[in-house]
Amino acid sequence: MIRTDGEFVRVVLRLAQAEAVADQSPSIEAEHMLLALTAPQGGQARDLLAEAGLDHNAVQLALAADVERSLALVGVRLAAGRMPRSSYFPGRKPRLGASAKWVLHRAVAASRGGSENRIEPRHVLVGLLNARVGSVPRALDLAGIDRPALIARALAG
Amino acid sequence: MPQIEVQETGDPGDGLAAVVALRRLADRLEDAAVEQAIGAGWSWSEVAEALGVTRQAVHKKHSHRLAAAGVAPRRR
Repeated sequence: MIRTDGEFVRVVLRLAQAEAVADQSPSIEAEHMLLALTAPQGGQARDLLAEAGLDHNAVQLALAADVERSLALVGVRLAAGRMPRSSYFPGRKPRLGASAKWVLHRAVAASRGGSENRIEPRHVLVGLLNARVGSVPRALDLAGIDRPALIARALAG
Repeated sequence: MPQIEVQETGDPGDGLAAVVALRRLADRLEDAAVEQAIGAGWSWSEVAEALGVTRQAVHKKHSHRLAAAGVAPRRR
């Protein structure tokens, strides 16, 4: 069971849920958590991402580039680089998706051994950066981000 | 006939990423196409048949969203 207690976890999940709604996604995924960390409430994680040139807009562009590349591999090109839009009304708010759960698992692992085993923003960032597969590592690679270096800076506290 | 060419990159991650992106695109296309059809006067039954699903399934999935947006079938 994932421990979702801890003030920052609640904050980041709330922000990630808003990102999922804006994305018209039925679930909260890892990419929404990455976007959430770029908010002012992202604290040290936001600062580390900003140092690497990743503000909210840059993350969105990187994620969009990953989708575009993935579709191009099977010969699909989106007009104006955008997914089709339609009226969106979530019957219920987006729930935690599988990739977001993995991020939280890794964030918990990263927080172990800390002063209070509390999950801090930098632990959530490490949880995202430690992913070996999925949209987040692909998007960050496309954006030319040195993930190991960013992980090292985050773990250094 | 347009030709769809699937590039072989040798990286299984690329294939899986394409699956995820296509599923997302299919979902968005369905949302947009259903909204367009209902707005153009299609019945829920006609939309369901075009999608190959039951009327109950498509109505359950889309009706609340379209009702909230003020898009309603012109005829039942």
